[in-house]
Amino acid sequence: MDRAWIDGRPVTLKVAVAEAAKLLSTSRFPVIAGLGADVAGTRAAIALAERLGAAVDHMHSEVLLRSLDVMREAGVMVTTVSEARARADYLLLVGPDATTACAELPQLLVGRAGPEAGGGLRHVGWICPGRGALGAFGEGLQPRTIGRDPTELPVLLAALRARIAGRPIGKTRTPKKVIDALAADLAAARFGVAIWSATDLGPLETEMLHGMVVDLNVKTRFSSLPIGSADNALGVLQVCGWMTGFPMRTAFGRSLPEHDPWRFDTARLVEAGEVDCAIWISAYGAAAPEWTAVVPVIALTATDAPMQRTGRVAIEVGRPGTDHDAVEYAEAVGALTWRAAARPSHAVSVAQVLAEIATALPTGA
Amino acid sequence: MLTHLAGGWVIDPANGRDETGDIWIRDGRVVEAPPGEARPHTTYDVSGKIVMAGGIDIHSHIAGANVNTARLLMPAYHHAAQQRPDVTPLANAGWTTFATGCLYARMGFTMVVEPAVAPQHALHAHLELADIPIIDKATLSILGNDDFLLGLLRAGESAAAVNDYVAWTLETTRALGIKVVNAGGAMAFKSNLRSFSLDDVVPYYGVTSRQIVKALQRAVRDLRVPHPLHVHCNNLGLAGNAETALATIAAAEDVPLHLAHLQFYGYGKEGERGFSSAAARLAAAVNHAEGLTIDVGQVMFGQTVTISSDVLRQFNARAQAHPKKWVLFEDDANGFGIVPYAYRADDFYNAIQWAVGLELFLLIDDPWRVFFTTDHPNGAPFTTYPEIFALLMDRDARAEWIAKLPPEAMALTTLPAISREYTLSEIATMTRAAPARLLGLADRGHLGVGAVADVAVYENQDDKAAMFRNAALVFKNGELVARNGEVTARRFGRALTVRPERDRSIDRRMRSYCQDRYGISPDLLAVPESAIGRPDPFELVPCAT
Repeated sequence: MDRAWIDGRPVTLKVAVAEAAKLLSTSRFPVIAGLGADVAGTRAAIALAERLGAAVDHMHSEVLLRSLDVMREAGVMVTTVSEARARADYLLLVGPDATTACAELPQLLVGRAGPEAGGGLRHVGWICPGRGALGAFGEGLQPRTIGRDPTELPVLLAALRARIAGRPIGKTRTPKKVIDALAADLAAARFGVAIWSATDLGPLETEMLHGMVVDLNVKTRFSSLPIGSADNALGVLQVCGWMTGFPMRTAFGRSLPEHDPWRFDTARLVEAGEVDCAIWISAYGAAAPEWTAVVPVIALTATDAPMQRTGRVAIEVGRPGTDHDAVEYAEAVGALTWRAAARPSHAVSVAQVLAEIATALPTGA
Repeated sequence: MLTHLAGGWVIDPANGRDETGDIWIRDGRVVEAPPGEARPHTTYDVSGKIVMAGGIDIHSHIAGANVNTARLLMPAYHHAAQQRPDVTPLANAGWTTFATGCLYARMGFTMVVEPAVAPQHALHAHLELADIPIIDKATLSILGNDDFLLGLLRAGESAAAVNDYVAWTLETTRALGIKVVNAGGAMAFKSNLRSFSLDDVVPYYGVTSRQIVKALQRAVRDLRVPHPLHVHCNNLGLAGNAETALATIAAAEDVPLHLAHLQFYGYGKEGERGFSSAAARLAAAVNHAEGLTIDVGQVMFGQTVTISSDVLRQFNARAQAHPKKWVLFEDDANGFGIVPYAYRADDFYNAIQWAVGLELFLLIDDPWRVFFTTDHPNGAPFTTYPEIFALLMDRDARAEWIAKLPPEAMALTTLPAISREYTLSEIATMTRAAPARLLGLADRGHLGVGAVADVAVYENQDDKAAMFRNAALVFKNGELVARNGEVTARRFGRALTVRPERDRSIDRRMRSYCQDRYGISPDLLAVPESAIGRPDPFELVPCAT
């Protein structure tokens, strides 16, 4: 059965969709936020945003744009979990969440490098592990750890990069000979891979790390593997890229897509009163928006629990890859992949609901 | 519904037509002139106008993870998608899937081949292609730096095993053909080799680039895939690399082979700077090699961004990045590199590159074997095609350009001495009839009875660039989609694929291979029809019998 609510009262899907269309058609500037959706849902969301002149954002834009800004300002060298599994004779972990941000990672990286990479046990270095643990894939591995407190990370990375390039460094909390030993390990790697969670690192640390990887490639081979794409953020990024030319935080207010990470940040748009209606999508769960200001919300979430009370209109949608077939970003492959429904159900998909809302909009809206 | 294009100048080289005549269209196909007093639903008076089949672009990077990364790397280039024609080509392109289809259609192109799809990104590429309106499309899947193929060759497995794997890849990724990019070079780069040529050996695998190319070339032929192996040679962009191209041409022997963007291999080492045009020698070799086809990869001046699966080349080109940023993505197999680049008319090397492309166009005799590309966006964005047509058809337009370019560069090319001008019939051959034949598409690229009614009508003008920039009328499957360069109707075409026979035991083998090596199921590489999100997204092209 459809599960939909208006102001917390159960209604049919049709009634909820009609109410959503009414809210949107009278809105001067809506935002489509959250956007925890599969590829089909994202395509529908962007098509609707174009029609409404709305802004498009994702709940993890902050972290994602931090990584993306490093790419589009400086460039990156990256690889995939699969290739790290086959090739890497050295793994450089950075920050406490480096082993936990991707659930499949430990299983994928356990064991030895492939025969074309010598087949040896991998060597592991870990900068600022904090309370992080190697866990399953660390069996038999003896990581060389340096630093502990993640606040040390910026200085350590800078010092390490300097030593790799043979430049002198000033005084650091971690002794120079420890930094030099790690620098020597990295230079001795045949194909090293730096792994970190995008949430752990700020923009400058990320850029420093990428720069270090590029420097290492002057003599040997090294790449990087930033991990942690929740709520299909990287899949949504790809769809935004091909449909609008830009990442999320892009809006159609002036009909052409305009991208502005500050201006089209949903929290800012809502708090500043610039938008007067929001579609909140969280099909992989039931994340709630972070903003506090009041704005009419049309919520499409995987469970009714948190949103039915706060959303003006709430519609329960199926989970991509669980209730219905879906295309989404798979970290293990580093690509958009097809996932058949694990437990097919009749729950409506984000794409279906958004298409129905679009159909219910008055012509010209 | 019957449509009548009346009294146009029909240029249809595949059917030997170059005359004033009519075209009749019914249910999306070209049909015989109906007997008696036919009452067409719509008649278009195209008298005095030029009527050709829709254009087919065999090599243009329009979709996929690599293209999308370039978009995200270069937000400034479509920051202002307004009309700013001559200044910022990519901005003009308004770089999205939707703009791609519309911009091709307005020039009268109705099919484009995305030539570089990594198998694991096939679904992504097809999703983007599905969002490119109007035109039909197809992909070439990349093999030749992947562990599985190199492992087969290392183990000395049979040609049949290679064939099965190639057939499995074609079906799984829904491709129309196979491309090899710097065969073995990306793999060698992972083992820290910094240059890689035709007879260099890939570490551990113990096979040469030549062996990889020949194995794939034979497999594609044995499987009767219409499009021959599509080869991006070693040593792209380097001085003296014409030798590599010549050696690859010699290695092809009599088996069909297609060399992509040959302009990027047309360089000698003459002159003070050790960089010169070797296009005349290459063109002579192409003229002599009957089974060989090439596309040009013409360079035009302006800002662009290079998108290539030749990671070794892209890494080595990083110092030339403009603006100074670049992306290198390595995965199993080729990966890709994205390096922004600005071709400058006052740059000696860029001027030579520009001339080499035109020399190849003009010195290769047979328009059935030389194909019109800029390797979009690597040599130039596809929006520059009209200007290139004009250069090919008008020696005075070339002379004007040559006069503006560094004379010391022009002195190292044969271009100033070439007087050939392409005829409209040769243009139609190169961009319509020949591509359809090369790809094995019996019902495209011509206007004979039974052909898909993809038709481009151009105003006959002296200004050839203006003529090809905005087609007067464009029909896709018989439906009017553009008029005077404006898209009037948006429809969605299909992706064309081949599916050669194979021994199904390869499927089980791939399953255990993917599990053992990557810890994944090969289902993660699948491109199910239902994932594409548009009705009837694929069309199967038969293999040769």
